Amino acid sequence: MASVPATTPRPRAAGPTQGGRAVEHRARRRPAAGSVGAYLLLAVVTVLLLFPVYWMLTISLKIPREINRVPSLWPQTVTLDNYRELLGERGFLTNLRNSTIVAGSVTLVSLFISSLAAYSLVRFRYRFRGLVGRLILFGYLMPTSLLFIPLSIIVARLNLGNSLQGLIVVYLTFSMPLSTWLLTGYFRGVPAELEEQAMVDGATRMGALLRIVLPLSLPGLVAVGIFTFTAAWNELLLALIFITSEDLRTVPLALQYLITGDVYRWGPIMAGAVLSSLPVVILYFAAQRVMVQGATAGSVKG
Amino acid sequence: MAVIAAPRQRASRRPRMTFARRQALWGYLLVLPVSLVLLALVAYPFVYAIYISFTDRVVGNPGGWVGFDNFRYLARWSSFGRAVQNTITLVVVTDVLKLGLGLGLALLLNEPLRGRGLFRAAVLLPWAMPGFVAFLTWKLLLVPIGGGLNLVLNETGLMAVPEALGLGSNGIIDWLGQRSTALPAVIAATTWRGFPFWCISFLAALQQVPNELYEAAKIDGASRFQRFRDVTVPAIRQVVLVVALLSSIWTANSFEHIWIMTQGGPSDATMVFPVLAYFGMQSQRLGEAAAVSVALVPALLILVFVVTALVRDDD
Amino acid sequence: MVRSPANSGDSVATTRPALTRRRLLGTAAGSTAALGLAAAPRSALAEMLAARRAPAVVQGGTKLTYWGGLIFSDAANSLLEETITAWGDANGVEAEVVMINQNETTQKVSAAVESNTLPDALDMGLDLQLLLSQQGQLAPLDDVYDRVGAAQGGWFPGVDAAMAPERFGGTRTGVPFGTGGNLLFRRTDVLGEAGFTEPPATWQELSDQAREAQAPPIFGMGFALSNVGDGNVQVSVLQSYGGRIADDAGTTPTIKSEATRAYLEWVSAAYRDGLFPPGATTWDGAGDNQAYLAGQAVFIANTGSVHLSAREEDPELDASTAYSPLPGGPTGLVSPLGPNVRAIPTSSRNADAAKALIEHLANPEFMAEYYAVAIYGPVLQAQRAFPIYSGESEVHTGLANLVETGTAPAAPDVFNAAYAEFNANFLVPKMVQRVVIDNYTLDQAMDETQAAAEAIYAKYR
Repeated sequence: MASVPATTPRPRAAGPTQGGRAVEHRARRRPAAGSVGAYLLLAVVTVLLLFPVYWMLTISLKIPREINRVPSLWPQTVTLDNYRELLGERGFLTNLRNSTIVAGSVTLVSLFISSLAAYSLVRFRYRFRGLVGRLILFGYLMPTSLLFIPLSIIVARLNLGNSLQGLIVVYLTFSMPLSTWLLTGYFRGVPAELEEQAMVDGATRMGALLRIVLPLSLPGLVAVGIFTFTAAWNELLLALIFITSEDLRTVPLALQYLITGDVYRWGPIMAGAVLSSLPVVILYFAAQRVMVQGATAGSVKG
Repeated sequence: MAVIAAPRQRASRRPRMTFARRQALWGYLLVLPVSLVLLALVAYPFVYAIYISFTDRVVGNPGGWVGFDNFRYLARWSSFGRAVQNTITLVVVTDVLKLGLGLGLALLLNEPLRGRGLFRAAVLLPWAMPGFVAFLTWKLLLVPIGGGLNLVLNETGLMAVPEALGLGSNGIIDWLGQRSTALPAVIAATTWRGFPFWCISFLAALQQVPNELYEAAKIDGASRFQRFRDVTVPAIRQVVLVVALLSSIWTANSFEHIWIMTQGGPSDATMVFPVLAYFGMQSQRLGEAAAVSVALVPALLILVFVVTALVRDDD
Repeated sequence: MVRSPANSGDSVATTRPALTRRRLLGTAAGSTAALGLAAAPRSALAEMLAARRAPAVVQGGTKLTYWGGLIFSDAANSLLEETITAWGDANGVEAEVVMINQNETTQKVSAAVESNTLPDALDMGLDLQLLLSQQGQLAPLDDVYDRVGAAQGGWFPGVDAAMAPERFGGTRTGVPFGTGGNLLFRRTDVLGEAGFTEPPATWQELSDQAREAQAPPIFGMGFALSNVGDGNVQVSVLQSYGGRIADDAGTTPTIKSEATRAYLEWVSAAYRDGLFPPGATTWDGAGDNQAYLAGQAVFIANTGSVHLSAREEDPELDASTAYSPLPGGPTGLVSPLGPNVRAIPTSSRNADAAKALIEHLANPEFMAEYYAVAIYGPVLQAQRAFPIYSGESEVHTGLANLVETGTAPAAPDVFNAAYAEFNANFLVPKMVQRVVIDNYTLDQAMDETQAAAEAIYAKYR
């Protein structure tokens, strides 16, 4: 047993390997007995976990009176009015577009420069490395509900108030620590020997990062990308402070504006939540697909 | 670090030293962009927050230095002790639950099951919607009359169980309105909202583990548990630590879950630091509000240093 | 119980009558015109009004930003937006108006003050006005305040008292545009079955009716006991029992008293008897709305938004709802008015244009139209004659009566920053929660609250 330390270099991890696929294929032909139990367990857990989502969905399909007066597990009168109102008169597509711009930009920028930083923290030895790594986390130590005031001073100085660019800049404060630190976790999972091998074979440092580390931590990159994207996609408090114009509002902001005073417009709020979670989920689903396809390039398990 | 590493390498071979120096240079260069952005955007707010926690600053008036007055004032609040206790409970319990749920599901979803792509995407759902809507939905689910949870319990006849435990009567359980269930309810909602982050992170780490390692272990006759302990755990340990660290800080500092569901009530059953800080912000007393958050910083710093030290042990 | 206008307001009021009567006739004519206009498309009204040019002080080409208070009524929001924009067009001012959710105003304004990015004018509530005025952030608007008041029959005494200059650094820093306050909503169908046709005159009467009439899942007293603004309705109840937060100087807390004890006895008895709907101890601001709309509450105290929702979504419920003033207690009625004001930050570079705009927005044609779709009580005597307040809508008429009979903010306590902070920490509902949730004795609960109040008031001495 235990003759397999985690850092054992895999035989032919980089470059196309038939071996990895072969293992994968074999794994898929496992006897069904075990998987019946697995499916059952999965089904139960999924039902429990998705019940709140189901509740949202039913409310989004109900008429107001039914939401208030007739509690029920499913709508008695199904209506798409809430979606119509949201997409029509409330211009939710604009909010979706704004959120896409903001979350997309934040994700791209963060992933790029955080990959460099994470790689540096994992592979290079230098003085203050530990300190730098910790300092990156300091932005998290204060709650946003306090940071928004000094941040608003910075944004005003940069003349980026009430703009999507300003929001993108501000979001980097939370997206970068997140992606840098998570990526260090994934980069450490890539055996250093592989890179050294590549460099002995003549690759540069950057070449090793691009051709060995990044492809091998593709699942990690996808996960980090998804987290960065959703964090920016769903952020409310800073958006409330930094966005004023109606046509610049992001998705959470638009939904928050459906709560006026002591009145919740439940139908459109829930319809908006459903609509806004779909892109993220689809994105992750698609990324999983791409990853499985990309798995032929390495021994990444789909 | 380089100082320690360099002499050893110098002893072995001279050109190695230039390699070490070049390495350090690259290291600094690559970490520079992130450091610069964060220095510009975070350093000032961080120092600002600590500074104003020692002043009587209010909105529109810089105020003056008051030493530890704000902290003394804070410590006298009747809810302060309870907030400390609740914050710790919330962080520890949700972390344990998220770890269990996240890891369990990640292992399951890493198995070659049909349609697992759909399951994986579904797991992301609680995390995919704006947080305040997620917690509003929980608040609706927990409404005593007509809320989803009581409705399901009543329709399935399961209501007898919590009623026997004395949590409610006549088919009505006031989940958020009584001490015995308020914090557990908030913990459940927080776990639900946060576990996808853990699950998906772990899943990605598991996907990175080469199948060959498992195959080799199997050939060596390792049992399922041995394979988990000797292959899976070492491979995802780093990610688990980082995820736990980030998630703990978020939970300790997050506001909207409590604010939306209970506003810290009933009484102070679910009171936490950020809600106390919010009360200060509403009165525009920046110094006091900052003191609430700054009071939490030493605890978080210890957490950061301990966990990052654990992470670096592996080097 | 009508509060007499505070000292400074008195002198203005006494010098006014002759002028006022003549003006009143003028405005009456104006509001009849507004009636006819109601049929015309809204933007036409906005344009017509805007055609009256602003005073010459407004420079062409000025840019002006305005943060309007977003309310539940879409019609009211867009009317305000259109009117401001049309005014800008007619006066050569590039007026940018953004509607800000009132739930977020405090945060947004805090950030804007600190980063020096406040708009040229904005809507706000009394608490925020007080905080900002004390830091010298709001420009004096005495001239506009006086002109608008003089032109429209004078401000209601309660509104005028709320604006008493000594509170705001010696000047008027806001021009009121609408009064908020709570009305008692009651289910006439449920109460009728139990034989109650008249609204309760006292809180004791209310809990008696509730006890008789309620039949779970419909509960008698839909009042929040949680850490939200609605929970502070309990402050008014406490005061109507003779309890006080602080002394007459507004500097020394006096929570612990026999009157407070009597209030706590009443509220805890009601809680023990199950008159509060489950959940009331953790309701958010919408808790009472939702309980009422769900048909789970007999009585609620609400500013009127429930009526707007019910009218649209549940006409049956709306039809079996009646409105009355909040009940009184052993020492009288406490039902505070909450004026909302338009204000100009001292940082505004276009204060003159902003002033002209604020004065323009007080014109009766616009306000008649606005009030008809919003859910505010009037602020000016002449507005009392608007059709919406003369029987056209029961809720609005109730709000108008409230303006006449309601009490000044915080009265009988003194409205100051310490009082505002006391309430921003929801210490009265928390005291109640200590008793009903944590089973504190009344003395323990009062002692704790007294100590907390002392800590707060000490900071402002």
